Amino acid sequence: MEFGTTGMLNEDGIHVDMERLKKGEVNLGTSIMAINFKDGVILGADSRTTTGAYIANRVTDKLTQVHDTIWCCRSGSAADTQAVADIVHYQLGMYGVMNGRQPTTQTAAAMFQELCYENKDRLSAGLIIAGWDERHGGQVYSIPLGGSLHKQSYAIGGSGSTYIYGYCDANWREGMNEEEAVNFVKGSLQEAIKWDGSSGGVIRMVVLTQKGADRHLYLPDSNYAVRHQ
Amino acid sequence: MPGFDFSNHTRNAALHARGVPLPKSTSTGTTIVGCIFDGGVVIAADTRATSGPIVADKNCEKLHYIAPQIWCAGAGTAADTEFTTALISSQLELHSLSTGRKPRVVTCMTMLKQHLFRYQGHIGAYLVVAGVDPTGVGLFTVHAHGSTDKLPYVTMGSGSLAAMSVFETQWKPSLTQEEAVKLASNAIQAGIFNDLGSGSNVDVAIITKDKTTLKRGYVRPNQRSEKQKSYIFARGTTAVLNEKIIRKEEISKYVSVHDLGSEETASGEKMDIDA
Amino acid sequence: MAAMFSQNPLMNGPNYSFNQTPTAAAAGNKEHAFYPYTDNGGSTLAIAGEDFTIIAGDTRSTSGYNINTRYQPKVFKIGGTTSSQDDANIILSVVGFAADGEALKERLDAIVKMYRYQHGKPMSVKACAQRLSTILYGKRFFPYYVHAILGGLDEEGKGAVYSYDPVGSYEREQCRAGGAAASLIMPFLDNQVNFKNQYMPGSGVGHDLQERERKPLPLVEVEALVKDAFDSAVERHIEVGDGLLMMMATKNGIEEKYIPLKRD
Repeated sequence: MEFGTTGMLNEDGIHVDMERLKKGEVNLGTSIMAINFKDGVILGADSRTTTGAYIANRVTDKLTQVHDTIWCCRSGSAADTQAVADIVHYQLGMYGVMNGRQPTTQTAAAMFQELCYENKDRLSAGLIIAGWDERHGGQVYSIPLGGSLHKQSYAIGGSGSTYIYGYCDANWREGMNEEEAVNFVKGSLQEAIKWDGSSGGVIRMVVLTQKGADRHLYLPDSNYAVRHQ
Repeated sequence: MPGFDFSNHTRNAALHARGVPLPKSTSTGTTIVGCIFDGGVVIAADTRATSGPIVADKNCEKLHYIAPQIWCAGAGTAADTEFTTALISSQLELHSLSTGRKPRVVTCMTMLKQHLFRYQGHIGAYLVVAGVDPTGVGLFTVHAHGSTDKLPYVTMGSGSLAAMSVFETQWKPSLTQEEAVKLASNAIQAGIFNDLGSGSNVDVAIITKDKTTLKRGYVRPNQRSEKQKSYIFARGTTAVLNEKIIRKEEISKYVSVHDLGSEETASGEKMDIDA
Repeated sequence: MAAMFSQNPLMNGPNYSFNQTPTAAAAGNKEHAFYPYTDNGGSTLAIAGEDFTIIAGDTRSTSGYNINTRYQPKVFKIGGTTSSQDDANIILSVVGFAADGEALKERLDAIVKMYRYQHGKPMSVKACAQRLSTILYGKRFFPYYVHAILGGLDEEGKGAVYSYDPVGSYEREQCRAGGAAASLIMPFLDNQVNFKNQYMPGSGVGHDLQERERKPLPLVEVEALVKDAFDSAVERHIEVGDGLLMMMATKNGIEEKYIPLKRD
């Protein structure tokens, strides 16, 4: 097994290499986002996973449930993000049982951060955590590559996100209703998919409110106009 | 100490740094596929194993047993697919015994991904996991780095692009068993004929709620043609420089010798040989 | 240089295309260089008989694990009066990098045609063989990445086979295999054409055994040998297959024959 050779040992002896993905690894060259709206949060993602130029899965589900109303969007290495999400899923389950109350989104985000920060030299995982809890309502957290944690009103991530900073900045409004919020996410991801070659396929969404989780699916066949499922 | 022995790692790394090439492992530069149908799942594989550009085995088995109703198709390093599936098969049987439940496909997939993730891709096993359990039909792919996908039809290995082109043009929802087997077999044949890493025959395993059927050599589209000439040498053609005869009485001191009756023939697996 | 196409992995590592482009140097730093050669696989084979020569090659062209085409001949007639090459008397086979092979064939053909035009007679195989060597050595420091085999009938009407390394070292031989499956076919030829390792039963004991006498094989026998050699190479080498193109040079000219091979 060969590894990428972009890693450099700096003069101060610190190994800095954020570019690497182990050779032949399955990559979520992705467009993901999560936003706050009036009644909760919405997570959105494209559905493309690639190995090099080959699309290994064109209907991937990058929106992963880690608790009843706490979900995450995964970008980077498929193996790494699945492993991290599986661990946090287990930890949150244990938390609920041991403490007799549901974990908050912040707790979940902290668990993710712990793993991403302590193993920053071994992971390529860019995560967005979004959830709804009784105490705080909807919340969005972003954990980029180094393992830092950022609470945001909305977060975008993955290779496709670079194309939509302008779009999101221009169209974002605080306190949108559900329909407006869904259209904002859909519009953003459509642009990301349009410009980013590593993103594509269907658009998946999860709407998290007091009522629980509601899944949306939009197919490119109808130009993402019609909701399926 | 359980697990792998790394005692030669430092020495080998030093040798490699000085230009000594790494030993070549037998890779199953393969085509493997899986496809669900109404009431079950089918997996299929070609039967060529290669070492570089040389065909190491013309009729190898790439469909591995995990549990009676869970089977695995393997691509990548032959030894890794063999040992990883055997290890997980063993653990899954113990798990099934201790829980008193039938093993599940997701359990198998999770054990595989956690094992492979721990070894960070150094175990080169690329697998298609398929089966039927009390929760229903399951079909997954597991990559060497530990990522998994769940899809109604999957392909892996060097012939995966050729095979996927068949699925992407001919697959439809709710296939019958016969249709699914035909489709999977066609996908493998696309790999056999268009990918140099794949060849020889098509093996198929059909898993339904009631039973598993393994069809070894389901299609054999690459039979060797008759030789034009006979290559039998006259007795005495090969030079014999010296000769030593070891008699049964002498060798009996070291191994036990069992006499076969006049009509009796030696038992055991028959070897594949060309005429 | 002769070792360039040695397919023995123990000698100098594998020489097949999917492992050919340099990736990382021993020190671990990545080399970025334009690599002008590709190995397109395939195999060739030539046997000289008493009054004939057979040169054969499979028709598969590959790159990596892909098949470029199932029919691209590696064996050509050289130096006929027209493009149809009906009256040619020399056969050339080239295996290795297909683009260089094509260029080499075109160049040699033009030269042999010019010779016929200028001298009013066809070029002898012996002269053509020497000329081919000169062409190859002319590109000593940017070689034609090919294993060439030239054949025909010599001035006495006997079968002649000349084989070359990529930079022009050549030798007249009884038989020669080239390309991807050369290491698979050559030992078979040594045994079946030159009767190597074959002794006459009962002609002595141990070192006194008499070697089996070499005698030229008839055309039909050699044809069968070539077919069997390629059928076997197809079984064990992934870059060989699809079709077998044979050319037989006799006093009546060059006869062409195509036989399908396994396509997996």
